[in-house]
Parts: sequence; structure tokens; C-alpha cells
Amino acid sequence: MSTATAEPLVPQVDRLALRAQGISKHFEGVAALTEARLEVRPGEIHALLGENGAGKSTLIKVLTGVHQPDAGRIETAGEEVRFSGVRDAHHSGVVALYQETSIVPTISVAENILLGERTPSSGGLISWNRLYREARRQLDRLNQGHIPLRRLAGRLSPVQQTMVSVARALAADARVLILDEPTAALTDTEIRDLFTVLRALRADGVGIVYVSHRLEEVFELCDRVTIMRNGQTIVTRDVAEMTIDEVISTMVGRSAEDLFPERGTATDRVVLEVAGLRGNKVRELSFSAHAGEVLGIGGLAGSGRSELMRLLAGDQKRTAGTISVEGREVTGSRGVGRALEHGIALVPEERRSQGVSLGATIQDNIAIANLARVSNAGWVSASGIARLAREGIADLRIKTRGPRQQVGLLSGGNQQKVVLAKMLARNPKVLLLDEPTRGIDVGTKAEIYRLIRALAAAGTTIIAVSSELPELIGLSDRILIMHEGRVSGEVSAADADEELLLSYCYGRKA
Amino acid sequence: MAQTTDIVPAVEVPQDKTQMSQLLWQGGTIIALVALIVVFGVLSPAAFLSFGNMTNILAQVAILTIIAAAQTVVMVTGHFDLSVGTTATLAGATASALMINGMPVSMAIVVGVLVGTLVGIVNGILVAYLGISAIVATLATMTTVGGLAFIVTDGTTLYGMPESFNWIGQTRLAGIPMPVFFALIVAAVIWVILRYTTVGRRWYAVGGNSEVARLSGVNVRLNVLLAFTLAGLASALGGIILVSRLSSASSTSANDYMMLAVAAAFLGMTLLKSGQANIGGTLVGVGIIGVLQNGLNIVGVNTYIQQVLTGIIIIAAVLMSSLKSKNA
Repeated sequence: MSTATAEPLVPQVDRLALRAQGISKHFEGVAALTEARLEVRPGEIHALLGENGAGKSTLIKVLTGVHQPDAGRIETAGEEVRFSGVRDAHHSGVVALYQETSIVPTISVAENILLGERTPSSGGLISWNRLYREARRQLDRLNQGHIPLRRLAGRLSPVQQTMVSVARALAADARVLILDEPTAALTDTEIRDLFTVLRALRADGVGIVYVSHRLEEVFELCDRVTIMRNGQTIVTRDVAEMTIDEVISTMVGRSAEDLFPERGTATDRVVLEVAGLRGNKVRELSFSAHAGEVLGIGGLAGSGRSELMRLLAGDQKRTAGTISVEGREVTGSRGVGRALEHGIALVPEERRSQGVSLGATIQDNIAIANLARVSNAGWVSASGIARLAREGIADLRIKTRGPRQQVGLLSGGNQQKVVLAKMLARNPKVLLLDEPTRGIDVGTKAEIYRLIRALAAAGTTIIAVSSELPELIGLSDRILIMHEGRVSGEVSAADADEELLLSYCYGRKA
Repeated sequence: MAQTTDIVPAVEVPQDKTQMSQLLWQGGTIIALVALIVVFGVLSPAAFLSFGNMTNILAQVAILTIIAAAQTVVMVTGHFDLSVGTTATLAGATASALMINGMPVSMAIVVGVLVGTLVGIVNGILVAYLGISAIVATLATMTTVGGLAFIVTDGTTLYGMPESFNWIGQTRLAGIPMPVFFALIVAAVIWVILRYTTVGRRWYAVGGNSEVARLSGVNVRLNVLLAFTLAGLASALGGIILVSRLSSASSTSANDYMMLAVAAAFLGMTLLKSGQANIGGTLVGVGIIGVLQNGLNIVGVNTYIQQVLTGIIIIAAVLMSSLKSKNA
């Protein structure tokens, strides 16, 4: 209490919901946090920003008792606390919801909301009536009464799963709610719903820490922002006082200009020709893409944009239509290997589950899509594998100790570079990129944009799906917007603005 | 370990073990093998450390080596094969029955190997193409194949195989029993396949993350089928060498090898930082099991207790490898 009043210049708000000061944490001698600080008021949405590796995740883990800090002081509601585990943090009202959903998919919604100690019981038996009543009350508080209590949580949509985990945090009397990339898996409408709920919680006096790489969301939703860099807290300010450019330059420690490289590498030579394509969620699609062109594909989640990528990559069954590369038709209705042989390579949407094998080394990850290059009559060359990996590491500037480092130990951006290196080693004619910068820090994003443009300049045809409209506009030469499995609009990126693209996204012709 | 409601957080901070502790960690299983040899050597130097007993251990573990190598192939792809034991039994019994009934020895062996290969193909189809979990599918084929072995032997033990067949299991080369050489050949071939061929790379990729492998152009189903097929083939070889060594084929001759093979492969997984199945590790695992069984026999511990110990070793091995993958 004395510390809260020790700063006379700070207007006496209320007691802070959470205050962390001088937090330091080392792993194996490497500093992950150096005197980091974070102050969360009750009833505010506080953005926590920084590039990957800036220390956000470590700070959150310290605040929620996953890690114990080497030094520093944590207070909740003015009282100093020490968390020796997640349970302690819960008891002090600090709850984090992580990127990957924190629900148990195989039990009901109601059981999820009142999981563990909160499950009402008498004499060791669960009181189902009380369980349902209490779960209903929590969902009603979030205005989510329509979520069926008895349904298996795994069957809910991603946003409903997020709502259920928020409800569980509330049931645990959370006073500080930490959300790590909560919108990563959500559609635009779902994001609206989530924001409505978060604003209601703010009005209720809950302090919310919001971690996101989507700065537009931060500016729309958050009251204050704390920016971290290299394990230190750089600044805490009101969001209204800052511009997006300021935020970005504070995060990367330099100016955010030239995030997107110059266009102008597209040629007239058609490389990819798609005619009458049909498949799951894709209905009658025809387009062509040129050498040196970056063709952006936009659309709402469920519009068929990811399915289109999987059809092109041979991962989903084509029910009608043709795909040709440089006039050569891709035979068969599916087969990733066949698409690769025709020069079509996919960098998939989910990096950690589809892009890289986290337990394997960099060189093994790269080699698996390039066995023909590193083998002779079925015999693999160990030196060939290492050489290929070293090339990829050098070309893409992957930050690593060497080709034998485990991919799971790399940062998200470097993992994405490994996926790119794997596919680029095949010298693809058509490179499909599904959300190429999802969950990647701004610095690495810029690097990947430059790389994509450099590939285009070398004659590769790039097809990039992105749910972030600024990225779509900045990166592409031409943009196709999909709606319900069809192309609802086509624009040159130079003439595109977000409003126009959004209207196409909703199927309206401009 | 206080995480009750929160799912494991995403790893962002690299956590490397230092070189020394990593070496100890990985060497732990080898140290265990050496320690066992030292302990039994001290307890019973004359009996345990003699050349005769050493070759005896090798002979005892030869069949296990072959079947454990088969198990290792399947475990590399992230699956399991519970049918390796009964497959070996069936292959041995089939070959024996055929040669007793007058089929030429070489021909009977080929048919026996084909039977095992066929079981492997069936396992592969069930797991890779029909999507049944490996545990359930191979548990079922284990039972079925075990039943077929009873039918082939009519529930009895078959004797009277031709003298020329006994050569495989009973002759010695430079004082070392022939099955030891066969085991080394099988292990070496599988080691080479896993390490130096594209199919081996694909198996490891499938075991690491089958979705990633598929999106990298690997035909996941075909490769899983191939792994089960090779496992069936190798198990059959093990079963045939076994009946030659015993000069008899019972209806359950090789069944017990399944559990020991699983134990050996799990012990072997603790040798790699990545926690993957590997032949070198499996051989160390086989060594531990062989030395333990032989040493306990010599010291006079009965076989029932040996079985109890086998189970405990499996648990210890699995614990060690899961602890390690958490740290990795």
C-alpha cells in the first residue's frame, strides 16, 4: 500500500489491478527480461506489444506464476504477491488465456467453465444442477447465453471456445485477464463479438492485458499500451497519444517506413492457369497468374481462400476444373507430391502444426521436401542435406546455431523462414503463401515481404492469402477477393483501398 | 506442475541443456548397461564374465534383436506394432509345418517370410488406409495371428525339421552362434535403411509430424504401409531363426518377444535428444534386457521376478524419454 501512494505526481486512480516492477528473468545465463514493468488499472484494456523475443511471453509467464522471476516485485490490488505456480496466480485473480485454446475439447461447456476446484460438488459427487446454473450465469454475464451448456466444448466455433475460456476466468474471479493473440483464429464478425465482451468486462472493472500482433485491433480496442523490446519495458502510454507508425518504430527500435518493398516486377507471361476449379468450399474458379507477379487473395474466413490454396497444392481433392503450370496440366485430382513436381509449392497456414516438424532439426525439415535433390537412387547424402540447410540459413538469414538446431527452439519468424527455405529449395515456379506473416513480429515481417518481392523479381509467381487487408494491399500487385467460393472482385493493388476490398469480401459489387 | 486449467504455454524462450548434462542424460542408458555388466561381473565373476556365457547372452538376444529392430521401424513412423511376436511365431510355425510335410527347406522359409510380410501389409492397410489406431489394429492382428499359429501347429509343438534347416540356428562361426550374425545383418540393414535412404528419411518425417510430411509431398500412407510391411518381414525372419535354434515350433514360441521388443525400443529412444526410435539405441536396450535376464538367472533370481522387472524397466524408460522431450 505504501508503494502505491509513494508517487505523489501520479494521480490516485484506484489501486492498480496489477503492478509488476523491476522484473528480471534469466534462462541459462541469457536475459529474457531486464527490469521489465507493467501496470494494469482496473477497468482498462492494456495492450502489451513487442516483437517476438521482446519478452512479452516471458513476462506473462512470470505474471501468471509459470516462471518465477530472478528479481522484481509483483502486486495485485496493492498487495505484494509471490506466485510459485499457476494456481497461486489464479487465487490472486490473474488468469492468462493462451494462443492455442485453453479448453478441454472432450468435456461439456459447463464443465469447462467450472473446471477443477470450481466444480460444485457435495460429498465428492458433482452437483450437476448447481454446475449448470453457475455456468449459465457466467455465460449470461458475457451475453453468450446462446452457447449450449451441454455441448462438447471441442464442437464449438473458435470464438465460442474463447468465450468459454473467458467465462472460466470470470468464474475464477479473475481481476486481471491476460489474452495472448485471442483473435488469431477468429473471423472478423467473431472478433467484433469478442471485443463487445471485452468492453463489457472493462466496464465491470476487470483489468485486461491484450497481446496482439494486429495493431489495428490495438488502436480500436485498447486504452493504454506498453511496448517491450529486448526484454525491457520501453514505454507505457495512452493509445490515443500514439500513431501506428510510432508504435511500430518503438517496437522495432527504428523507423517503420518501407515495410513493403516497391512493386513492379510483374510480367505478362502467364505461369499459372486455373480454369473452372471446383472442390470443397470452392465453386467454379478461374484465374491466371503471371511470372514475377504477387497475386493477393483475400476474403473472409470461410470464403474458400485457404481451401483454394490447398486445392492448388494438391492437398485437397479437385472435383472439376484444370490447373496448369506453364501450359502443362497437373494430372490427377490430388497429391501434394504431384503439385510439387509441377512446380507448385505451399507454405501452409499453420506453421507449428503444418509447416515445420518442431522436434526435428532445421536440416531434416528442409530435406524432407527436397529428398530428390539430396539423394541418388534412394541413397541420401548427409553432406548434401547439411549443404542444403546451410544455403537456406544463409539465403534467408535464419538466426540459428546451425543446421542441426531443433526447429522448436527457434522464434516464430525463424520457424517461418525454415518453411520458406524448405519450399524455396525446390525452386518453385508458383509459390503459395497462406498467411505468410501470421504471428510474426514486425521486423521479420518486413524481411519476409522483401524476400517475397525478391522472389517475384527473379520470376517466381507468388500467390499470397492474407486476412490482413493492409498486408494484402501493400504486398500484392493484383488482388482477388473471394466470397462463398467465387471471385467477388479483382483489383490492381495500386488502386485498392480497404473499403473497396471489404465490400468485395462481403460479396457486394462495388 | 500446478497447471490445471491452462494448456501448455507456447515455448518462446530457448532452453538448452548444457553440454555436460546433455551427455549424461543421453549416456544414461549406456551407463545403465555398463553398470549392469559390472554388478553381475562382481557378483558372479567366474560364471557371468566367461566367454561361454558372453556368447550365450549374444545367442539369447539374437532373436530379440531382430524383432526389436522390426518394432523400431514402426516406432520411427510414430506407430506401434503389437503383432511382431505372434507374427514371428506364425512364420516359424508355417515354415516348420511345410518342411515337415516335405517342402524343400528354402521354399518353406520363403513362404514363412511371405506370411509375415503379409501380416505386415494387413497391419499397414488397417493403420494407414483405414485409419484404425495402430494399438487397436495390431492388438487385433496379434490375436488373430496368434490364433492362426495355433491352427498351423494344431496346438502342439512341431518337431522333425530337416537337418539342413538346423544349420541356421545351431551352427557356430568362430565360436559364435550363427543367429548372432543373422541378427547383426538384419540390424545393420535396417540401420542403413533408416539412416541412409530416402524411405528412412520419410519414415522419420512421418513420425515427427505426419501433417508436415504430407504437405512436404511425402506419401504418408504408403510409407506407413511400407514400415509395417518391413516389420512383418523382419519379425518373420526372427521367428524362423528361432524355430531352427530350438529345433521345434510351438504355438506360442516367439509371442513373448513383443513386450521385450517394445521395452528395448523404448530404452533406445532415451538415447536420442529428439526421443526418436533408433537402431543403435534399440541395440543398447536389447543389451540391457539380455544382460539383466542372464545375470539374474546366474545369480539365481527366478523368471517370475524377471518378468516383474521387465515391466518396471519399460516404465522407467518411458519416463526417461518423456522427461527428456519436455526438457528438449
